[in-house]
Parts: sequence; structure tokens; C-alpha cells
Amino acid sequence: MQEDLALFAIDHARKLGAEYADARLETHYNELITIANGRVQRAMINQKRGVGVRALVKGAWGFQSTTNLSKTGVKGAVSVAFRIAKASSRHVPKPVKLASTKEHRDSYAVTVKTDLDDVAFAEKIKTMIKWEKSLHTSDAVIRGLVEYTGMKIDKLFANSEGANIKFANTLTWAGLKADAKKGDLTQSYERVVGHAGGYEIFEKQDMGKIAGEIGKKANSLLKAQPAKEEKNVSVILNPNYLALLCHEIVGHPSEADRVLGREAAWAGTTWWAGKLGEKIGSEYFTAYDDPKVPGTFGFYRYDDEGVKAERKVLIEKGVLKMHMHSRETASVFGVQPNAGMRAITYEYIPLIRMSNTFFAAGDWEYDEMIEETKHGMLVMEMRTPSIDDKRYNWTISAQEGYEINNGELTAHLRDVQLTSTAPNFFRSIDAASKKAEVLPLPGCGKGDPWQILYVGNGGPYLRGVANVVGVK
Amino acid sequence: MAKTKALDLKGVGKQILKLGEQLDTDETEAYVVSNRVLTVRLVNNAVFEAKGVHDIGVGLRVIKDGGLGFSSTANLSADSLRKAVHAALDASKARRLPFKYSFPSPAKPPKVLGVYDARLAKLPGDKTVELAYDMIEESMAHSRKVVDNAGVLNVVEFHSIVMNSHGLVAKDDGTFFEASLAVTAKEGTKSSEGSEATAGRSLKELKPKDVGKRAAEMAIDGLKAKPLKEGTYEIILDPEPAVNINGNVSMLSSPLIAKLYYPLFLDKLGKEVGSEQLTIVDNPLMPGGVSSAAVDEEGVPSRKVAIMDRGVLKNFVYDSFYGAMEKKRTTSSGARVSMAVGVSMFPGKNYNAEPAPVTRNSYIVPGDWKRDEIIEDTKAGLLAQRFHYTRLTNPTRGDFTSVLRMGLYRVEKGEVVGPLQKSRIIDNLLNILKNVNAVSDKLVVAGSWGGYAHTPVIRTKAHVAPV
Repeated sequence: MQEDLALFAIDHARKLGAEYADARLETHYNELITIANGRVQRAMINQKRGVGVRALVKGAWGFQSTTNLSKTGVKGAVSVAFRIAKASSRHVPKPVKLASTKEHRDSYAVTVKTDLDDVAFAEKIKTMIKWEKSLHTSDAVIRGLVEYTGMKIDKLFANSEGANIKFANTLTWAGLKADAKKGDLTQSYERVVGHAGGYEIFEKQDMGKIAGEIGKKANSLLKAQPAKEEKNVSVILNPNYLALLCHEIVGHPSEADRVLGREAAWAGTTWWAGKLGEKIGSEYFTAYDDPKVPGTFGFYRYDDEGVKAERKVLIEKGVLKMHMHSRETASVFGVQPNAGMRAITYEYIPLIRMSNTFFAAGDWEYDEMIEETKHGMLVMEMRTPSIDDKRYNWTISAQEGYEINNGELTAHLRDVQLTSTAPNFFRSIDAASKKAEVLPLPGCGKGDPWQILYVGNGGPYLRGVANVVGVK
Repeated sequence: MAKTKALDLKGVGKQILKLGEQLDTDETEAYVVSNRVLTVRLVNNAVFEAKGVHDIGVGLRVIKDGGLGFSSTANLSADSLRKAVHAALDASKARRLPFKYSFPSPAKPPKVLGVYDARLAKLPGDKTVELAYDMIEESMAHSRKVVDNAGVLNVVEFHSIVMNSHGLVAKDDGTFFEASLAVTAKEGTKSSEGSEATAGRSLKELKPKDVGKRAAEMAIDGLKAKPLKEGTYEIILDPEPAVNINGNVSMLSSPLIAKLYYPLFLDKLGKEVGSEQLTIVDNPLMPGGVSSAAVDEEGVPSRKVAIMDRGVLKNFVYDSFYGAMEKKRTTSSGARVSMAVGVSMFPGKNYNAEPAPVTRNSYIVPGDWKRDEIIEDTKAGLLAQRFHYTRLTNPTRGDFTSVLRMGLYRVEKGEVVGPLQKSRIIDNLLNILKNVNAVSDKLVVAGSWGGYAHTPVIRTKAHVAPV
């Protein structure tokens, strides 16, 4: 990478009069393959490289990106960032202040055993076609879908305080889905397999077998009973369903920009604003955000402001402990920055984003949790969320469920959808299993313009209370 | 917006076609884009950041021996372009098509007026900042109960050109803005929200003070909100929620989206999916339409397509590829839409995705009701002005939910009698479409957060519960 260009950008911003500047010089490689019903629907290879420059001028932020990596191009981008920051400063009554951080200099990479380049794109397409075929376990499976993404990002972050951090990231994942139909009833089942790492994720497990299981699941749901509307049901959420719930009602409301009302025009705010240190859930409710978990989608050692990553204890035994911060929001709250800033490419200014947000494991065996539930529901595998603007009221559908009666799984359920409020659910948590997982969530959207990022979410099997929404 | 040296998009396209010839492709296509976006983001009653992007790149497709390949690059050096063509060629080897496919042939595009405004394109950065701040100023001036404002002004200028080896050369130059503001009002311990958002193609349509005023009015109204009682209501959907309904229908009318993700309409072509009151068209020819253009993003001349005619699903929309796959003609619905993770997706044009069949400027066709008449005709019901986080939670059955975050009112005996607290629709999209019983006679632009369209006001029935 042309490191000198990033340094030149910072130097030029400082010469113009910026009190702070940083630059992210990045190259991106993405490959995407979509297979449905034996056919390649989409197959794309994208490459990008450029630099994004952020300048703080009279307490106001300006940012400009460019793909013109000549000195003239970079100089032009810096000048624009400086000018629009200066123009903005007229309407910034409280100048932005950055909490201090050490100026780290480091270079690191995600562990990759099989580089994406080691497997030809054509070979990948052939492999995905086989997986898609394996989804069709019976004539009832009318549609199969495989969506593969591989991405490599080389990033250099440098700032006017002397930070200089290089990060080579690779992410690889595939989503597999089967739709089964009988008469007028259609049911679908899907799963994502992925990690921060190379193509080896697909070499160390039998993807054809996984596809077969997904096809069988979709088929089995055709015989399942529709979930019935019921209030205040004891629900045991499996790690996959919990991952989405955690993402929506723990991860997003923990973002300090939301807490400060800065996302009000978009995804919304946070019901727990001003409640730091207060009890918002039961003793069994502990949650973390941890970018340092190797192999996860949210892995990084430094965020896009060069702040060193650490595990954030967001909620501990029901007490709201911490938000996710940028250097700027950390300054507002008077706390240490905790490495919450990321952008999907050099074209975007970083935002506060979750990394790997998950519920803590407990001390229950999964079997015990089922056995000790007289009447309830085991809720499995995430589908679609709809959350209110304060992350208070939530509705999330699941791919399947089981009735629990007298400590045993009974009827297999389809069309499962739960609703509750965050505080009611948090207060109701009364058990968490020893086993926990952090799963890949490749589609977290935030910002304007919109940035779709990859994060990790999950936790253990968790028991709480929610309402079951019936079929309308 | 900041000036930079004009880029020779056509020159880049020619280079790609020449490389295609040299590498012996059967057909080559280049889609070259220069996309400039300036975003002024407002938070906590101040300008928080001004951010710009100048995104230039090319998406290219090749056909070779019955195979199709795509690649894109933002590096326009000769070496990088050559590598990109090689990458597309390699991809084509593994993507043999079981049907005959060829890139679109040249055709004379229609003239579509009102899609490019030089004044908007040349709007200086400092002036853009001032216009954005006008929204806050107006909102704060409206009432002392207004305590917080957050919003955005996006100004976009794009230039694109499609060229292919059949001799097709089609340009699309456009400008676009979107302005939105969310306002928080407080009185004692009560707090409420209001919002307003609008979009357009020219500077004269940008009225930031109106945005600020309307958002503040809604927030102040909301301070008197009372709880709603759960039930099934006749519900009037003002423009922003109506755009959401249209957006869902439009999404479901893409064969790609229907087959891969949301199959609700898959077996319903020619069948009744909505009420007789409901007709939906995709019309990229509309002068000044928020997403109008003379050509689609494969260079096919735009045309009007009937999606739903008096409740009957009439057509799926097609680009040339999906058209060939399903033995249909393209409906000029090729758009470079990417929802891929980690891939940029700006307002304006994107080059880093293959064309996909999606509606381009769809809307519910106006009916013969005045908005006031719809309200007067409603004995007991609701008026909804904002949807939030709308989702089909079961894509095969159409389970539908949306948060009525703000701007919800009770309607009694033909009058809007008072605001209601935040609630949630939990129903089914097909029920909502089939229960439409009134459509207003005017189109206005509405939407939020990147998704804007023209729409009338509609009335339907839905199950609504407090949150």
C-alpha cells in the first residue's frame, strides 16, 4: 500500500489548519456467488482501493474519500474535507473533543489457512452448485439458495497523533436456504456458515451434509403445527435466535451515538439512555461486546480510530455498565474510549458499531433447562426482526419451535414469532446454559449513507418470558 | 458540491470494449459511473459532520462461449482494467448459461425531463451545510418545546454511461437530494417525536424550512398522545406509510427477489392480490420522478410497466438477463442493486453489482378521493403518518409488521381527533392490500432513509396494538 499517501494526506490537513486528521488507505476484494435451483443467479468480483480522510477543524468534522491515489487527488480530497468541516464549524456550538488514546503502531492479520485466491472462482461456483443440489432432499423442496461471499481487506490507519496500524482481514461465509412446499403451505429453513478467515471454513466441514440437513428441516416444517397466540410464555431461546435478539436489543442500544440521540433520524434512540449503573434486568443477564474473539466476524485489535480493542462489559448481572464509544462520545461521557468505531470501506466515515455482542453463558445444562420448564416453547433459529426506535418493543420471527410440556419437547412448531419489551424480557431471564456460541451475522445496517457491516452475535440457551404472536 | 476534473467516462468504456475484443470475448459491456455525494449530518441541534465521497468505477460484463462473467473495479489504470476484464472472463468459464443470452441492442431512448439540475450539481459545500442547518433553525423556531433535532441532507450528482459491443451507448446524468429531520419535543415529563423527509431532483424542490416546520409540528402534537386500544382498525396511511406498502409490492414483483428471498407473489401472477382500488405501475418516464431516467442501467430505453391492475398482479419486472432466463422481454428494469455486505451502496449509481430486475420509479396510481374526503368518510379509525422498521416477518406467508413510531392519530366521525402513542401493526400484507378501500387523487414524494417514491394516501384495515 502507498503508506506515504496516507501520511501525506494527514500532513496536508494539518498544514491547512486541522487540529486533528486521520486517513484510512484501503484495498478491498469481494467475490459473491448466488446459486438458486441449479443456476448461477449472480457471480461478481469487485475490487476497490482508495483513501478516506477525516479532518477536525474548529471542532467540526469533515470527511472526503477519493479513488484518485495521486498526490493531486489526495490533496484535493483533503482540501474538500477541510472546507466542509470549516463550513460546518459555524453550527457546532460545542466543539468536538476527542478522548485521548495511545498512538499505537502495529500490524496484524486474520489467520488464513486457505487464501481465497487459492481456490479458483470457477471452482467455487462448481462447489456451490453441488451444495445447492444437496438442499433438494425431496421433491417437496421447491427452491434452494446458496449465497457465498469472500472478502479481503487491507487497511492502513494513520492519524496526526502518530498512530499507524495495518490490518489484513479476510471474511468467508455462505448462507444456505431451502423452501419446501406442500399444497398451499410453504416453509423455509436457512443457516449461515462463516468466519473471519479463509476458505478453510468450507474444507473442515461437510457442507453437502449441512445442506442436506437444511433441506430436511424445511421439509419437516411442513408437518409442524402453527404456533398459537399466547401471552407470557416461558421461552428457551437457542443461541441462533438469541444472536438476533441480542443484536437488536443489546447491541444497537449500547451504541453511545444512539444513547445521545444522534441516530434519532434513522434507526432511533435508546430506551436505557441515562440509566448507566441502574438495574435493567435479572441477575442472569450479563452481556459483552468483544472484538478480540479470534475467528469471529467482529474480530479486530484496533478500531477505525486506532483505539486498542478490549472486552466491553455492557451489562453485568442485570446492571447497565457501559456503552460502546467513539473517542468523541467517550469524551462526552468522560470515560476511556473502547474501540467501537468502524466503517465498511474508505468511502465512509466511521460509526459506532458493535463487534461481537453476546449474552454470557450461565451454569445450566441445556437438558436441565428443558426439564425444569413445565409449559413453554423452545424457539430456534432467527428469521426477521422488527424493533421500535428506542429498542424497547421487539418482534422477531423464528424458523421453528417446539412446545415444552412437563419438561419435554412435544409438538414441532412453525410460523413462530415472539414479541415483548426489552425490560420485561431482561427482567424475566432466569436461566442460561453453560454452552454458548458467537455466530456470524453478515448484514448489520446503520448510517446514512447506509453501511452494511459484518458482526458476531450469540450467547447460550437462554430462558425468559415473551408473548407468542399468532398467525393473522 | 466540490469541483473536480471531469472524467472521460466514455473513454473508459471504450477501453473496456477494446480489451474485450483483444481477449476475444463474444460480447462485452461496460457501465462506468462517477458518483458524487455530499452528506451533511445533523445531531443534537448542530451540524455533526459533513462528508463527501467521489466514487468512480466501472462494472463490466463479458459473454464468452455461452458463459457470463462480471467484475468491477475502482482503479481505472490500464493494468487494472485489463485485470478486471480477465476476472470477468474467468468467471464466465464457470457460469455457462443454459439459455441464450445477449446484451441489449441499441435503441433510441425517450427524453425524460427534470432529472438533472445544474444548480443542485454545483451547490457549494458551505451552502449545502447552511441549507441543512435551516431545518434545525426552523424546527427550533417553531416551539420552545422542541429540544432536539437530528437529520440529514444528502446531495447527489451522478454521471453514468453504458456501452456494449452491439454499439449501445446510453448516458444517464442525474441529480438528487434527500432531506430529513427527526425532532424531539418535551413538556414536563412528557416527550414525543416528529419527523419529516422529502426528496427531489432539483434545488427548487428543496425546502428545508418546510421539513423543519412539519417535523416540529408532529413532535408538538405528540405531546398530547393517548394510549391506543388493541384492535383491528380502518387505517388511513398518509404518504410515508403508503410508500412502504408500495415498496413491499415493488420488491415482491422482482423475479430475483421473489425466487430467492420473498416468494409471496411467485404463484400469484394474474391473480387478485389487492383490492380493486389498487393499481401500481413502475414509471421511470415520469418527468422529475425521484428515480426517473431515460434508460435503465443496462441502457434499455425506459418504459412504463403495470405491476398491479385493480388488485390483480399483472407483471413481474425484468432486466435482460432474467428476461432471457424466463423467456420474457426486458421491461427496462435493470438496476445495479447491491445489498452485499461490505460493498458500498450510495445514493446515486453503483457500478459494483450486476444488473438485477427491480422496479425503478413505482407508485400507487392515484384514485378519485380527496385526502380530506377519506378522513371525513372514516367513522372510527386511525391516521398513520410514519412507519418504522417495516418487515415481512414471514416471507412465504406475508406476515407484516411495522412500528407506528410517531404521527399516529385517532379518527372519529370523520375528524382527526387526537394523537395516539406509539403502536405496532401486526397483520398480513395480503390482508392489507385486499382491504384498501380508498386512494387519494394526488401524488406526493415521501419516504425515509434512502427509500423515496411518489404516492397518494390510501385507506385500509389492519390489526394494531400498543407497544
